[in-house]
Amino acid sequence: MVSNPKLQARTREICFEAFVVLHSGVSRTPLYAAEHLTRENLKQAKVLPRKDSFHAEKSLPENERAELDDYARSGYDRGHMAPNADFANKTAQAESFSLANMVPQIHANNAGVWAGLEGTARDMASAEGELYVVSGPAFLGSKLKKVGNVMVPTHIWKVIYSPAQRRAGAYLVVNEDTQTYETLTVSKLEKMIGVSVLPGLSQTVRDAGMTLSESAAPPVRKPKTQETGEVVQKKDAITPKKDDTVQKKDDAGSGGFLRFLVQLIDVIGRALKH
Amino acid sequence: MNNDFDFKPYANESDVIRIGGLEIENRVDRVSITGDVVLTKDQTGLALARELRTLLRHIVKSLEAEKKLPETVEIKPAGEVDNPF
Repeated sequence: MVSNPKLQARTREICFEAFVVLHSGVSRTPLYAAEHLTRENLKQAKVLPRKDSFHAEKSLPENERAELDDYARSGYDRGHMAPNADFANKTAQAESFSLANMVPQIHANNAGVWAGLEGTARDMASAEGELYVVSGPAFLGSKLKKVGNVMVPTHIWKVIYSPAQRRAGAYLVVNEDTQTYETLTVSKLEKMIGVSVLPGLSQTVRDAGMTLSESAAPPVRKPKTQETGEVVQKKDAITPKKDDTVQKKDDAGSGGFLRFLVQLIDVIGRALKH
Repeated sequence: MNNDFDFKPYANESDVIRIGGLEIENRVDRVSITGDVVLTKDQTGLALARELRTLLRHIVKSLEAEKKLPETVEIKPAGEVDNPF
């Protein structure tokens, strides 16, 4: 459900086996991906297949979809909105690698704080039995970066609703090389991003917020707030500063990386001999 | 070396393979390895270590085979557009 009419243009809903995506042909990204996590499914999801494959979403018209080439040499990760580790069977797994489920995301962010939040949602679903999770990008500010035909979100968010607690809350992460996140109420997030995330929920639940789990995986450092309902007024969270994050990532240089690989092979080689 | 190893580093933008808890993602300008793996002192650990060694050997081999391996990989600069939303 889109409340900002500009976001509504060229959107299509795609129902995959285990998650639903609202896709924008303007940004060529999802606007959100919604999933229902259950303890049972997560148990089965523990064993992931040996191989997967990123692919363009062929069910979308060519002039609306992202291609692998859009992301190539961009420096950005293809960041899953509905994470592959959530899914119990091969089809759902494979479908999660559709580019209709991806946004250009800074690698350190994707592999760090964001992976931690995904793990937190899974832990919570396993502990409570079930959880509704909606994740998506936000495009804020007057200018946006673009890689190929794909727009780069300024933020990434995740909303969770716990039927057991009858409470909902949101996490917000700036799409930069950061390891921090903010927590806020669903209604504040919805206002910020122009999308009504869980339209079925009562206004009371959306306004109330929840104490979001801090059992986030180790990569997640200090959260900005512990209690939701309070948006930390961090200015650059709303107006991301221009930066050279993408370039910075490659400072180590290929020489350094190659040396690292050789050392790693050496270590494994030695371990195998013993 | 393992002959049925069909992950060709830097060959495409689509391959993903897993070794233990590691997820290895192929890109034309990088191979990214995320997650973690524990190499236990048992048969499983040995099998995983061998897979990892095969992967890394392939990566080093393809990097060494590059005639002009740059100091730092070149990134296509991102464009900038007015926010349509």
